[in-house]
Amino acid sequence: MRRGASIYLLTRVHGLRTHLIAPRDIQLLAKARKLRDVSDNLMKTDYATEIGQLPTQEQDARTLEGVFLRKLVERFFFVRLAAQGKMQDLLSRYCARFDVENIKRIIRAKHGQSAEEPNLIPLPREYSLVNFPALVKAKDVDEVASLLRDTPYYPLLDKLQPYRESGTTLILEATLDKIYFSRVWELVVKVVGMKDLVGEEMDLRNLLIAFSLKAREAPSRLIEEAVIPLSHNLPKTTLRSVVQSRLEDAPSILTTAYSRLASEAVSLLKSGSSLPLERLFFRQLYDDASAALRTHPLQAGYIVAYLLLCECEAKNLVSIVTGKQLNLSEEEISKGLFGI
Amino acid sequence: MKRDNLAAETNRLLTKVEARHELEQSLMKVYEALKIAYITLGYSQLQSQASTVGPFDARVRPRSVMGVLVPEIVAGKMPAITSVTNASAYTAAEKLTALMRELLDITEAEGRIEIIAQELMLTNRKVNALERVIIPKLQEMIRYIDGRLEEETLEEFFRAKRVKAVIRGQTG
Repeated sequence: MRRGASIYLLTRVHGLRTHLIAPRDIQLLAKARKLRDVSDNLMKTDYATEIGQLPTQEQDARTLEGVFLRKLVERFFFVRLAAQGKMQDLLSRYCARFDVENIKRIIRAKHGQSAEEPNLIPLPREYSLVNFPALVKAKDVDEVASLLRDTPYYPLLDKLQPYRESGTTLILEATLDKIYFSRVWELVVKVVGMKDLVGEEMDLRNLLIAFSLKAREAPSRLIEEAVIPLSHNLPKTTLRSVVQSRLEDAPSILTTAYSRLASEAVSLLKSGSSLPLERLFFRQLYDDASAALRTHPLQAGYIVAYLLLCECEAKNLVSIVTGKQLNLSEEEISKGLFGI
Repeated sequence: MKRDNLAAETNRLLTKVEARHELEQSLMKVYEALKIAYITLGYSQLQSQASTVGPFDARVRPRSVMGVLVPEIVAGKMPAITSVTNASAYTAAEKLTALMRELLDITEAEGRIEIIAQELMLTNRKVNALERVIIPKLQEMIRYIDGRLEEETLEEFFRAKRVKAVIRGQTG
């Protein structure tokens, strides 16, 4: 990307960052008495227009979640459209995470022969090369894979046989993750200061897959199939050792930055704590993204950090409104929030 | 006889239903796990994770207990939850699946108790009607017939005596 274009994009992202809800305000939302108070407080934010259009009686956690996801998609694609050249290519690939998530949701619904239509992330047609309405109408997983023949997700076709043999969508979901991260990684390594956060997300996802599958005593072969075959700060050999050893030995095997995280995860699993494993791993990622906003304000990594924090905000808001709808206490909701 | 057998069956089922309290405690724990999964993933993502789990194969067929048709639940294979990829959703699904058979046992017992109780109520009403209305009425009728018969026998006896006396007077 040319220097001028890069400065323009960074300046736009610096401006966009000011639209994010501050952690203090997220905490105040978690303290709100009821769901209605949360939606009232959100009227002072970027979500005001969409929430304002919703009739009061329709403002439940499900519809508000739709609003948050639509805004998240809008934010991601706004940045992509503001970029030029290779950076736009890279951001297009980065934004494909919504495509991947939606394909996963369709595959899951077809696998379970669900009568209901899958609930997809609201993704405008112009933002995706995948024909989602056709995928939704497909009669089974095989047809979904064949409809993806002309897209970057064509390797799914080769995984249909292992999928049928294992009887689990894990194989297909792992393949989609591999395709997504391989495509992003291919371009991200060429951009200075951007690969750290993408690489960290990849490493953390791999550790999360390894830990959660080991906790449910999945065979090592299946775990090795499920992990993304790329690494940043987590060498492949180390990850393989983690997969093949006992869960308790993981902290000593991981001599990298993830050792502390691994010991926390092991004690979490042993204590049977209610804090979900993914919260622990992604908290680390979002904390590092916040740190990157402060420490690298003039690097391309700032853009990824902003996008990750948009995702973090959406997840926090979804947790808050869902928690309020389920009448959970402030402590219970706050326990699961990121960056607080 | 029927009432006694039904009462014995109800007693047997009641001991099964006593486990309901423990089941409710376990279900509360499952709901806690489910709540965590909901706030971690949100409705749409959790719904997507849940859609991988196929329908549970269970059939309800009738069974006769003293001529009363009660439901019998025949549970098939548990649906596979291996495609639930998310850790918190898996935890909730695993806990819930573990309780499914127990839940079905209690459902079956409660369904049976309901039908048997209704049948017992009906049988009790019949027994009450027999004991308090029909049998006393019949007994009353028997007593009346007995009385009438006795009266008629006496009358007959008296008539015979009178006839005998008349005949004896004519011959004497």
